[in-house]
Amino acid sequence: MNTEWEPVIGLEIHAALNTKSKLFSPAPNHFGDEPNTNITEVCVGLPGSLPVLNKEAVRKAVQFGCAINGTIALVSKFDRKSYFYPDNPRNFQITQYENPIVIGGEVIVELNGDEKTFPITRVHLEDDAGMLKHFSGFAGVDFNRAGCPLIEIVSEPCIHTPHEASAYAMAIKAILQYIDASDCNMEEGSLRFDANVSVRPKGEKTLRNRTEIKNMNSFSNMELAIESEIRRQIREYTSNPDKHPDEVVVQSTYRWDPEKKEPVLMRSKEFAEDYRYFPEPDLVPIVLTEAYIEEIRKALPELPLQREKRYIHELGLSSHSAFILTSDKPLSDYFEEALASCEYPRSLCNWLTIEFAGRLKDSGQTIMDLGIPAKNVAILINMIEQGAITGKIAKSVADDMMVNPEKDPQSIVSENPDYQPLHDEAEIECYVDRAIAENPQSVSDYLSGHEKALSFLVGQVMMMCRGKASPPLVNELLKEKIKAKS
Amino acid sequence: MMHTSTAIDMQDRFLRGENSAVSIVQHFLQRIARYDKQIGSFLSVNETKALERAEHLDKKRASGRPLGKLAAIPVSIKDNILVKGCLATCGSKFLSNFIAPYDATATRLLEEEDAIIIGKTNCDEFAMGSSTENSALQMTYNPWNLKCTPGGSSGGSGAAVAGRLSPLSLGSDTGGSVRQPASFCGVVGFKPTYGRISRSGLVAYGSSLDQIGPMAACTADVALLMEVLGRSCEKDSTTIPKGPEDYLSKMDGSIRGLKVGVPWQFLEGLLPEAKRVFDQGLEILKSLGAAVVEVDLSLLKYSIPAYYIIATAEASTNLARFDGIRYGVRSPRSHTLEEIYDLSKEEGFGPEVKRRILLGTYVLSAGYQDDYYKKAQKVRTLIIKQYRDAFQKCGIIASPVSPFPAFEIGSIRDPLQMYLVDIYNIGVNLAGVPAISIPSGFCHEGKPIGLQLIGPQMHDVDVLRAANAFEQATDFHQAIPPEYAV
Amino acid sequence: MSKLTKETIKKLTQLSRIACTEEEQESLLRDLEKVLVYFEQLNEIDTENVEPCNHVIPDIVNVMREDEVGPTLPQEEFFRNAPAKPFDGMIRVPPVLKQG
Repeated sequence: MNTEWEPVIGLEIHAALNTKSKLFSPAPNHFGDEPNTNITEVCVGLPGSLPVLNKEAVRKAVQFGCAINGTIALVSKFDRKSYFYPDNPRNFQITQYENPIVIGGEVIVELNGDEKTFPITRVHLEDDAGMLKHFSGFAGVDFNRAGCPLIEIVSEPCIHTPHEASAYAMAIKAILQYIDASDCNMEEGSLRFDANVSVRPKGEKTLRNRTEIKNMNSFSNMELAIESEIRRQIREYTSNPDKHPDEVVVQSTYRWDPEKKEPVLMRSKEFAEDYRYFPEPDLVPIVLTEAYIEEIRKALPELPLQREKRYIHELGLSSHSAFILTSDKPLSDYFEEALASCEYPRSLCNWLTIEFAGRLKDSGQTIMDLGIPAKNVAILINMIEQGAITGKIAKSVADDMMVNPEKDPQSIVSENPDYQPLHDEAEIECYVDRAIAENPQSVSDYLSGHEKALSFLVGQVMMMCRGKASPPLVNELLKEKIKAKS
Repeated sequence: MMHTSTAIDMQDRFLRGENSAVSIVQHFLQRIARYDKQIGSFLSVNETKALERAEHLDKKRASGRPLGKLAAIPVSIKDNILVKGCLATCGSKFLSNFIAPYDATATRLLEEEDAIIIGKTNCDEFAMGSSTENSALQMTYNPWNLKCTPGGSSGGSGAAVAGRLSPLSLGSDTGGSVRQPASFCGVVGFKPTYGRISRSGLVAYGSSLDQIGPMAACTADVALLMEVLGRSCEKDSTTIPKGPEDYLSKMDGSIRGLKVGVPWQFLEGLLPEAKRVFDQGLEILKSLGAAVVEVDLSLLKYSIPAYYIIATAEASTNLARFDGIRYGVRSPRSHTLEEIYDLSKEEGFGPEVKRRILLGTYVLSAGYQDDYYKKAQKVRTLIIKQYRDAFQKCGIIASPVSPFPAFEIGSIRDPLQMYLVDIYNIGVNLAGVPAISIPSGFCHEGKPIGLQLIGPQMHDVDVLRAANAFEQATDFHQAIPPEYAV
Repeated sequence: MSKLTKETIKKLTQLSRIACTEEEQESLLRDLEKVLVYFEQLNEIDTENVEPCNHVIPDIVNVMREDEVGPTLPQEEFFRNAPAKPFDGMIRVPPVLKQG
C-alpha cells in the first residue's frame, strides 16, 4: 500500500514586544539583567497586586494586526488562564481567550518562485512567565521576564512542509522587525515557535491527532524537528495499519532537544489541563475606534512584501535576491543606506548577500556588527562598475575591508600599488602577446571553436598582471591578436 | 473622655493644642492593653511606630507646618490590607509570617494625611466568612456581648471601633463584610460604590465585588475617611476615574422630600426583632420628611447563589498565588515541588477557604462554566437592572443589615446557613452600589441592630447625607458597650 | 445539573493543588453538594437574552498607562518572605520537570 501522506502544520509564534515597560506593570522590559531586579509587586504575584495595561503594547499589537491585514477587534478583553507552575507568579496567566485583539490576517511569502498565502487565525496579547533555571538538585526562578508583553500569532493549519514552516516564520519575523515591534532575538527568547504537527493520507478531509513541538530555537532546528515528527507519525501509521488512527498518534507534547537533535516526548494528554478561562475582573475592556486603527494603518512603515516588490520592480533585483535581502531587515536597511550613494543595486545586492555574507559566515557577525560603513560598500561597488578596479581586485579590497572595517576602499586602493588598475595598454599588450606565445594549444583550441580556451588565456594574462587589467579589455586584445595571427 | 469623642473632634483638639498626638495615641494604646485581651480585635499592635509618628506630628504641629486631614487620629486596619513592614496575615496560617513589602494605596493615603496606624485587626480567613470565627489565628468577641461574634469578615475592625480601641478602622466588604460587623457592633460601616477606593494592596477575594470600607462611630468620621480614600488610583484599573470629593460639606442638609424605597416583598419573613427596629428606623426617616415607597427587589432572593458562584470563582484564582513558592508558609513536610503546592495549602488554609476554592474551581471548570459562572453573571445583570429600576422610584433604598443581631459564637455551623446571614447585603456588592450600616436600635437583649441605606452607583454622598440626617435625629451611635465605656 | 462525585472532588483538589485527606474530601463532598443544590434555584430565572455582567461599572473602559519604566520592588523586599534562601538572586524550588 503506497499511501501518499500530507503533513498538516500550524505554527504558534510568541513574539516579545519591545516596549520599555511590561504589559501590566511599569517594571523594565529588559533581557539579561541580574535576576529578580526588574520586578514590581505585580510581576511576582504579591497579594493585593493589580495589573494595569500598557498602551504601547496595545498599539504594537494593532500595528502588527494591520501589517498582516487582519481585522482589529473594536472591543477586546482579557481572560485568566489557570495553571500551576513555579514561573507563573499568580498561577494564572492573563491572556485573551474569547476576544482577541486581532482576528484573521495573512502573510504572503515567496516560495520557489511562487507567491504563497498563509492565513492567520488570530493574534492576541498575553503576559510572559518568568524563567526557570535548572541546577543539580534544585531549580531557581527569575521573574524578570514575568509579565513581559507577548503577542501570540496563531496560523491556520495551512502549512504543509517544514520549508513552508520556516518560510512562514521568517516572514512573520520580518514583519515584526519592519514595524519595530520586537527584537526577534531567538537566542534571547524574544521570538518563540511552537508547531502543531499532524499527517493524514492525501485526500482525507478531516484532521488527525496532532502533536505539539516546543523549544525550537532556530529556523533550521524548526525544519529538522518538524521533518522528524512527520516521519515518525508516518512510520507509526504505516506500521499500525489495523489500529484506529486516534490510538496510533495521540495528542502529546514534544520538546526539541538541541543535543539529541530530535523531538523528545514531554507529556501525553491523558490529564487534560482545564485552564478554566474566564474574564479578567481586574482589567476593563479595550474599546478601539476606527479612527485610531486607521491612523495606525496609515502610519505603517514599508513592509517586507512591499519592499520586496519595490526591489524587484524598481531596482531590478531577482525575486530570490529580493526575498533574501528583505527577509533580513537590518541588512536590507544597510543596503538602502548604501544605495543612497550607489547606482548599481544588483551588484550591491550580490556583494552584500554573497561576497560579504560569505566572508562573514563563520564569524556569526553581520556587516553592521563589524562596523563597515554602508557608504564604503557603495564606494566599492561604484569603483567596480565604473572600471576603476577589476572584480578580482575588488575581492582583495573586500578582504582588506573585513580586517580594517573603518578604512574606505579608495584609500585601500591608493595605498596599495598592487591594487592600482593597469591602464597602460602597451604593458597589457605585452602580457597578451606573452600569453599567446606561451599557450599555442589554447590558441588553436580557441580557433577551432572552444570558447573556454579564450577564458583560459584571459586568466593567464590576468595572472601575469596580477589582476590589474580590465578583463573585457584583455578579452578584446586577445581576440584581436589571435585573429590577426590566424 | 478622649475615646468618646468623634475622630473629627479629637483632631480638632489636637490642632488647637489641647491634646498632643502622643497623648491621644497613648490613650488608645492603654485601652488596647487593658481591654483587647477580652475582645481580641487586634492581631498586631504598632506601639513603637505609632508613638514615633505621634511624636513627629507633635513636632510638626509645633513648628507650624501644615498637617493632614487625619493628623493624630489612630486608625486600625484589617489584616488583609497591606501596611509595609507589618504582618499581613489575612487571618490565615498560610500568611502568618508574611510581612507586607509594599503599602496598599489606602494605607499610603492615610499616612499622607498624617493618620497614625495603630494596628492590624482580625478577620475571617481571607475575608471569607460572616463572623470572624474563620480566623485561623484568634477569636474576636463582640464588645456588646462577649459570647457573641462581632460579625465578619471585618469583625476585628467592628469590635475595635465598638470598644473604642481605635476611633477609625478600615475593613473590606465583598458580601457585607463591613456593614454586617458594623451592625453587630453598633458602629457605622460604609461600602462605597465599587471602584471608589483603590484595591491596590487589598488582598483580593472577589475582585469584582471587593471594596475597602471605612468604619467609625459616626457618619461624619466615615465621610472624613472617604475624603481621604475616595479617588482614582493608577495602580487599580477598576477605580472610577474621578478625583477626591468633598463629602463632609455635602453631608449636612435635610432629607425632606427624599423618597426611601423599601423592598417589602423581599423582606417578607423578616424576624420580629429585626422588623421592629427596622420599622422604627423608617419612622425616624419619615419624621425627617422622607417618604417611604415600595420598590421591587424580588430578584435579590437569588443574590446569594449568584454571589457565591461569582465570588468563589474569582477567589479560586485569586488565592492560587498562595503556593508556598515565593512567600507564605511552605509546608515543612514538602520535599518535591508537587508537595510544596499540595501540602502548603493543605496545612495553611482553613476549611471554609478550601470549600470556597473548590467550589470556585468547580463553577469555572469545563462543562460547568455555562451553567454556573456564566449563568450567575447573567443573573447579576438582571439584579443590577432591578436596582436601577428601583432607583427610578426613590433616591435611597432602606433595608435591614442582618436577619438577626449578633449570634453566639459556634451557633452557626452549617456553611450554607452562614451564607444566608448576608441575604440583605450581598445584592449591594453584586450591583456595585454604595451602602451604609448605621446604628438604629437594640434588640431586647441589648445587642445593636443596624439600618442599611443604599444609593445608586456614584451617589455615595446621598447615602452619607441620609445616614447623617438619621444620626443627627438619634443617639444610637453614641452608645458604647458599658464594659468599655471608661 | 450537578453530579458531584468523589471523583469530581478529587479532580478539583488536583486542579486547585490542595491535598485533602479522605475525611476532608468526604466532608467537602457533602458540603459542596448541598451548596450546589441550593445554587440550582438560579435555573428559575430566564436569562435567555441577557448579557453576562463582567464589569459592574460598564463605562470604565480603556484604562491604560504610558509605556514608562517606574520604581521597581527592591530584591530584598521581594526575598524578605521567601520560604527558602534564594540562590544567586533566584527563588529556590525543588527540581522541576522541564516544560519547554
